[in-house]
Amino acid sequence: MATGNLNLLRNAFSKLRIDHVFTRSLQRPRYRPPYWYAPKESATSDEFLTQENKQFIEEVMQDKMQLQNSLQSPLVNIDQNETPTWNPQTRRVGLIARKIGNYPLWTKDGKKVLTTLLQVVDNHVIKYIPPEEFNPMKTSSVQWKEKRKLGCMLVGSETIDPSTVTREYCGLFSNAGMLPKRHLFRFMVSPESYISPGTPLYATHFRVGDYIDVRAKTMDRGFQGVMKRWGFKGMPASHGVTKTHRRPGNIGSGGEKARVWPGTKMPGHMGNRWRMLRGVKILRINTQHNVIWTLGVAIPGETGATCYLFDTVLPLKKHSSSPPFPTQPLVDDLPLEYFDESIQRFDERSITYEEV
Amino acid sequence: MALAIRRSSSEVFGAAKWFIRRDCRVLSTVPERAEEKPVTPKRERQAVSRVRASARNPNLGLRHAYPEFLPDPNPKWRNSLREKLERSDMLKRRSQIDIPEFYVGSILAVTIADPHAQGKTNRFVGICIERKGCGLRAEFTLRNVVDHQGVEVRYDLYDPTVQSIQVLRLEKRLDDKLLYLRDALPEYSTFSFDMDPEILPEGTPVPVNPVQVKLKPRPWLERWERQELKGVANIEEHLKEKDRVRRELRATPWEKYDLMKQYRKTIPIEDQNDIWAEVNHQLRQLQLTRKTSARKRTFTTPKPQLG
Repeated sequence: MATGNLNLLRNAFSKLRIDHVFTRSLQRPRYRPPYWYAPKESATSDEFLTQENKQFIEEVMQDKMQLQNSLQSPLVNIDQNETPTWNPQTRRVGLIARKIGNYPLWTKDGKKVLTTLLQVVDNHVIKYIPPEEFNPMKTSSVQWKEKRKLGCMLVGSETIDPSTVTREYCGLFSNAGMLPKRHLFRFMVSPESYISPGTPLYATHFRVGDYIDVRAKTMDRGFQGVMKRWGFKGMPASHGVTKTHRRPGNIGSGGEKARVWPGTKMPGHMGNRWRMLRGVKILRINTQHNVIWTLGVAIPGETGATCYLFDTVLPLKKHSSSPPFPTQPLVDDLPLEYFDESIQRFDERSITYEEV
Repeated sequence: MALAIRRSSSEVFGAAKWFIRRDCRVLSTVPERAEEKPVTPKRERQAVSRVRASARNPNLGLRHAYPEFLPDPNPKWRNSLREKLERSDMLKRRSQIDIPEFYVGSILAVTIADPHAQGKTNRFVGICIERKGCGLRAEFTLRNVVDHQGVEVRYDLYDPTVQSIQVLRLEKRLDDKLLYLRDALPEYSTFSFDMDPEILPEGTPVPVNPVQVKLKPRPWLERWERQELKGVANIEEHLKEKDRVRRELRATPWEKYDLMKQYRKTIPIEDQNDIWAEVNHQLRQLQLTRKTSARKRTFTTPKPQLG
């Protein structure tokens, strides 16, 4: 009894530290999530879940899925004459896609081109915030005086089990009558390209032959040396070189500049950064599986990486005519596949060259 | 006690599962590896069961004839939807052109559309020395000696500029890559361009040509002595004592027991079953239509060839 009291007393005294002074840091926090952000992961344990409860949850989820699938796209009720027309200054919403691999296609003149396949999985508009109400977190000290012109549109993709995420995160989607999605992304759109929440987006949002910008995270390569990270040449393998085959060599000069200059290329972490690839051409679209074939293999990330697709901003590759605006509604009699006119279909006859 | 029994029974079950999986794994070996069957008296029972398993599942025979339908086993590159789309594209191309069954060592004649050739087509005859790639990337290499000069042409199997692929002699060789023909005497890779196709009677298994080539003296393009080649006759003549010692040092005899390595190189049998079930019917249909059209073609009179 006495020893217990003594221990309590000792603990109380040990907390009374006089050498420790709290100071408020002047540095502002670097990242403050936007107000609509809700923590996503929920740490639940299955300890108290009985088999019946699990089944009940399954049933509820099935019902909700059916409800979501039976939801009619809000685009159906919109009168075509009332919708604003597209002009080159408008910004449309983009898509969230998943990179699913590469394979070659052939052009009509017999050239082999490698393509990247992007699958648009289950994209829905979740929320729209008009420009007047949109007040994002301030990331830089520069304050923009001009009025905001772009609204914010939240798009989600890939429905997940609601029991794996927090209630707040589910709440974001319930207004649109949706189940929670794995990915949620913000697109800045002009107000005339408003789409009401709950509208599904398909791969046909883009057309064949269009150019898009793709934003994704590059492959994570970890801590890399200077040869892999910056393409330095290294030093010779022989001729008396010892222990400096892959090292950077000199990183500065003497005199006034006797220090390492900012921005010097050095070893460090490589990859896992957001990168935008601009001006990627769409060669083929599958409307059944919502797959987009894009030219080239330079889209960042591994197979299975998430990427965001936008209309390109490159002035020479922008849309010349109106794309599906605000988006392509679901039409039953769409052809299964669209091909760019330069691409040879696999069920066409073999390529022959005419004698001139 | 009951717990102990349950545990032991689960162990037995696990062991059985492991054994079954290992047994099936052999069936899903890469086509090159699958040919070699270590038939020792101790393993006879296992070999028999293997034969039975492949007899039970006729689809598995297709993995040698159409190896490119199996995707790359690297899990980083696999995606079921992409593989499905790729397979449907391959079948679409196969409906346009007859891509026959052939193996490394078969002699093929390939006609392609070529904008720079006279008559806009180019025909090449040669022995297939290598076949690789999965899906639409599948490719093969033909080798021939033309005017005392070795020529090799690499073709994409699904390239739409290919006009026709004809098998002139259907056979296999002792090795799964014949790259050593580059260092062999030229007569082993010389084939005349006006070779007639040799037709095997229906139902015969693909013959294996047991020919052993003679290599030219060194220098060689690769260290052939380290590759355990069966189709080379005179490799020992050209070796020095030093090379034999190095070969012993570099040998990796344990690799054939490396189950994990084998696993990473192959597609599991469950996946293969799905793939072949999807593809098999269409492939059979294509074969049937080809056969009927070929029968019709035999009655047409051949045109006299010019030049």
